[in-house]
Amino acid sequence: MKAIGEGKEIDFLAYEPIIELKHINVTFKETDREVHAVDNVSLSVDKGDIFGIVGYSGAGKSTLVRVINLLQRPTTPEAVVKVNGNELLTLSARELREKRRNIGMIFQHFNLMNSLTIADNVNFALRKSGLSKVERTKRVAELLELVGLSDKQHDYPTQLSGGQKQRVGIARALANRPDILISDEATSALDPKTTESILDLLADLNRKLNLTIVLITHEMDAVKHICNRVAVMDNGALVEEGELLQVFSQPRAELTKDFIDTTTHIESSLAVVEKQEIVQNLKAGEVLVKLGYVGETTDQPLITSLYDQFQVSANILFGSLEILQGTPVGNLLVVLSGEPKKTQQALVFMQDHEVAVTVLKSGDKEVKPND
Amino acid sequence: MTDFLNRIMPNVLANWTGENGMVQGIWQTLYMTFWTTLIGGFIGLVLGIALVIYDEQGILSNRWVYSILDKVVNIFRSIPFIILLSVVFPITQLLVGTTIGPKGALVPLIIGTAPFYARQVQNTLVQIDPGVIESAEALGYGPWTIITQVYLREGLPDLIRASVLTIISIIGLTAMAGAVGGGGLGYIAVSKGYQRYQNDITIVATLLILVIVFVIQGLGDLWARKIDHR
Repeated sequence: MKAIGEGKEIDFLAYEPIIELKHINVTFKETDREVHAVDNVSLSVDKGDIFGIVGYSGAGKSTLVRVINLLQRPTTPEAVVKVNGNELLTLSARELREKRRNIGMIFQHFNLMNSLTIADNVNFALRKSGLSKVERTKRVAELLELVGLSDKQHDYPTQLSGGQKQRVGIARALANRPDILISDEATSALDPKTTESILDLLADLNRKLNLTIVLITHEMDAVKHICNRVAVMDNGALVEEGELLQVFSQPRAELTKDFIDTTTHIESSLAVVEKQEIVQNLKAGEVLVKLGYVGETTDQPLITSLYDQFQVSANILFGSLEILQGTPVGNLLVVLSGEPKKTQQALVFMQDHEVAVTVLKSGDKEVKPND
Repeated sequence: MTDFLNRIMPNVLANWTGENGMVQGIWQTLYMTFWTTLIGGFIGLVLGIALVIYDEQGILSNRWVYSILDKVVNIFRSIPFIILLSVVFPITQLLVGTTIGPKGALVPLIIGTAPFYARQVQNTLVQIDPGVIESAEALGYGPWTIITQVYLREGLPDLIRASVLTIISIIGLTAMAGAVGGGGLGYIAVSKGYQRYQNDITIVATLLILVIVFVIQGLGDLWARKIDHR
């Protein structure tokens, strides 16, 4: 239980996450086998979160998010699907359809109707809104303005670029003023630049409308860009879940590390770094280490103090720096060289300053790899 | 001019108006085509939509309903039309009170057309992107809205093309029904033209059928192209 935002009065006892999934299992029966697409997943999303779910294709992400609006029903009876405090599983078809209007959804392939203009595609979402024709037209204009497509309203989807189509999808998904937006690989069919602009738009909507976003993707870059929480999914199960910064700086699962490496490239660079002559021929007192640091640590002139205090010099072979939610997260591959004893002291010194130190290779048998 | 026409197609001019004349034949063909298209088309459309929504991937997926519909359609699709004509005459007698003339031909025409059109509709609608259907479900719409606003709207250009194909096949069927007593241009071409060695009648009746087919094909293509925004 935690506060949703500053300045708001929150009744902590009555506080509930906006989305609460418990014991979700989805099994597809095929002729010759059963596919366990979602395997006992429980997760909760707080209001205002941008919750990222990453995983390779086939991990069950799409199936899992479809449980949120029950486009996919859990296949075991103990499941709980609570959205805004309502248990969706007990609702009638009609009530469920009404609740779905409070959960917008955008898709990888946009899923617009080719037979309708952009304005009519958005207007389509308002058929059951209770608004008059004039009000609907006005609302459509507002929405197209919000996503920056006012000038395209009379065009047909085929006349638009991928990014523009996704903007129409977003406008349509937001038409009924939902509290939640589900993004199903919404940027996976877009080029990097367009991806960034769509993610920026989502982050903007999250702030402006206090929209809770559940975003599934196989691109760690997208998660890094806008999410505050992240879950990693593998083979239908959640293997890791937590605050973005924490997961990024201290990943536990192997898969999480793999995903993080797709954006930092630190592990993949290691192979190249290890082939370098300086690393091949480490002398006594020389070690190859990986240094990981988060937040304020990066502001201290650490490398300089290593030389000042221990006469240990650092040769940076590879580095990556990410700014996650305004906090710097860095990773360096460094060869430290100095007197064996001093080098060891330097390693301890860095650990004391909250730098995660991993000794990868040592030129000196006496330098013990730390835990 | 009349002299010239008289020389090249004397029998056509002699049989232009009156009982079993060319004009009557045209009207009978159009009559049978129109009502078969309307009634058979409606039944076929409903069946076709049902086949799509009750399908395993459909919005109301139901294995039993689908399997029954599928088999019914298959059975009626398999009966050769010329046999259907003679098999259904008791039903025809019951429904329209006669088994001859254009009216008598309507029942077998409709029974022959509906399953054919149902498959055409099914083939058209299953090609609609399932994602678009899913997005409508996510927007909180039920089966009725999805059928009328998504399936039929997104599928319209291809439905028009499928309908043109079906109407042309109906015209072909009316000629067959005509030959066994249904009237129309098919009847004229066979019994007044071919069987009485009045070749000019056969040729003109055939040309008239071709004109009807071309007009329908042309109008259908034009309409489909106009509303197709893919």
